[in-house]
Amino acid sequence: MNISTFSESLHRGEWIRDIWSWLFLLVMVLFFEIWAQVSYSSSFVFNGFNVQSILIFATAPLLLGIGQSLVIISGGIDLSVGFVMGLSAVVLATVVQSFSGEAHGVALAIGILLTFLVCLIPGLINGLLVTKLKVPPFIGTLGMYGVARGSGFIIADGMTVPVDNDWLYKLGTEKILGIPIVVLIVIIVVIIFHFILSQTRFGQYTYAIGGNREAAIRSGINVDRHIIIIYVLSSFCAFLAGLVYTARFSAGAAQAGEPMLLDSIAAVFIGGASFYGGSGKIIGTVVGALVIAVIQFGLVFVDVDSFWQFLAVGLVIIVAVLIDQSKTHITGVANE
Amino acid sequence: MKMIKKCLVSLSLLAFLMPMASVILADSHKKLTIALIPGVVDPFYFTMHRGAKHAADALGVNLLFQVPKQWNVSVQVPILNAIIAKKPDAILIAPTDKIQLIAPLQAAVEQGILVITVDTFIDDGMYQDGSGRGDFPLSYIASDNVLGGRMAARALAKSLNNKGQVYVSNTIPGISTTDQREEGFRLEIKNYPGITLLKTQFNDDDANKAAAQLQAVVARNPGLSGVFGANLFSAIGAADGVKAIGKAGKIKVVAFDAPSRIVKDIKSGLIDLAIAQHPAEIGYYGVVTAYAALTGQSIPVHIGTGFTVMDASNIDDPDILKFIYSD
Repeated sequence: MNISTFSESLHRGEWIRDIWSWLFLLVMVLFFEIWAQVSYSSSFVFNGFNVQSILIFATAPLLLGIGQSLVIISGGIDLSVGFVMGLSAVVLATVVQSFSGEAHGVALAIGILLTFLVCLIPGLINGLLVTKLKVPPFIGTLGMYGVARGSGFIIADGMTVPVDNDWLYKLGTEKILGIPIVVLIVIIVVIIFHFILSQTRFGQYTYAIGGNREAAIRSGINVDRHIIIIYVLSSFCAFLAGLVYTARFSAGAAQAGEPMLLDSIAAVFIGGASFYGGSGKIIGTVVGALVIAVIQFGLVFVDVDSFWQFLAVGLVIIVAVLIDQSKTHITGVANE
Repeated sequence: MKMIKKCLVSLSLLAFLMPMASVILADSHKKLTIALIPGVVDPFYFTMHRGAKHAADALGVNLLFQVPKQWNVSVQVPILNAIIAKKPDAILIAPTDKIQLIAPLQAAVEQGILVITVDTFIDDGMYQDGSGRGDFPLSYIASDNVLGGRMAARALAKSLNNKGQVYVSNTIPGISTTDQREEGFRLEIKNYPGITLLKTQFNDDDANKAAAQLQAVVARNPGLSGVFGANLFSAIGAADGVKAIGKAGKIKVVAFDAPSRIVKDIKSGLIDLAIAQHPAEIGYYGVVTAYAALTGQSIPVHIGTGFTVMDASNIDDPDILKFIYSD
């Protein structure tokens, strides 16, 4: 973007559109900081434990949200990610435990590889349903929601599967340079996907397909193949989320990701993606996940009654969507 | 456009300021602070909270209370972490999983917070005995759920004259309390050879599912004569399922836990017997035990609270009615 268009967009107030989710996050943090200081004379944000807890809490919705971002930008939605995460956790736990005779490192490596392969399947099926069978993404991935859930329960007979693996335990609980390893994993994933989406042709095609699918087809993009890859990437992110979960809790549970599904979608929209596809950024999803984590952590921290919390995240989503719609009116152009 | 923005801002401010106003006036840091984290939204835990509040008021303790909206580790652990961040002196928690809560609760102990589990337990439930990774909590306060399961089996067998087919409607496997109730039920039902025990049905702690499963079991086994609902939602669901197919009274229902509708259900014959726990006692003694530990008094590692058996013969007695759980 050259200088003249930048100053033009400044003029038109477009910059608000790009940074409003950051502003929102800042307001949330300030809000809780003030509240905590006034009520409890303790800091909300200048506290290592709090920041770490918030970051760790944000890892699950964020990992799922990254895959979800790709899908939503391309014009679809993936409702299966919560239970694919659970499936990943259960398969990983089961495989690693069954190799408990071997060295822990070997058992973990085999577990990760097998789980990775298993988790490609839901993504493939989702992609095929949407492209070849022309099933609407909402319905297709809803079906996979049920299949992944059932598979997760069948594999472990409904139980949670405990894992006793030193490497996995270290992965889930230790830190490097003061940062929890799981947070580092998420940061790396964020950087990689940000690069893909903003600097590669693959990313450009994703926006193109979401913006105008017909035009994308006519300009020679292999839309079907692209969409299948996107759903596989979404399942891959769910695989990672399941891995992180199993590492943190030393057990895999099929329902692990269930509460995270809506959070992952919320993170994407709070981050500024358009409901109709064609726009959104990974960094937006990061901010969205942080907003959700800050709110949920903050409300417990300042001792708000549980039921107000259920209300709060829902309100934030509504506000986010309304602001997104009003952005169109401010700038007079459709979201880019 | 400006109107919309104004409305948005005022709406969000309002939503945040309302609860803020109620909390901001509360005094918080001179007294001891104890946090109660139940498993899920459930009258059982609200009754427990009332008992806990009763003790907290009597002892001058500040009681925090945060309720997970689902029985799920992914929901309870973030709440636990946020509570740990507030550095309460002790945490009373009903862990949603025997294994997965070990590491998060260990983190609480590392921050200098005392941990006591109520209702459910982690690891093997036997603390401070030197075995297991989840040995660190100071006490486990709950009803004896194995005994409760046995009592349910005895009551059901008796009401069926030791003949018939029964099954257990359970919630989610892996929860210590309901697992123990089923275990007790199975062990005791073996003493009644005339009774056939069918496969257990897991209903995800959802009354609707429990009802649907009841109907499915009856469809497969028209001779079904009884069902044991291992917790509140299981019992309600099974009873509703029985009513929906018009078999109230013909299929005996033994319920664990006693929500307020149990009074009507027992009077109408829909539920034959309810085994009520004493959650208010669990809450009360949870706070008292934590307070004792915090003030240098040694405490028992296990406190078993009792049951009250409710049936048609005693349901009108006020001494019995006071054990009904309510919001």
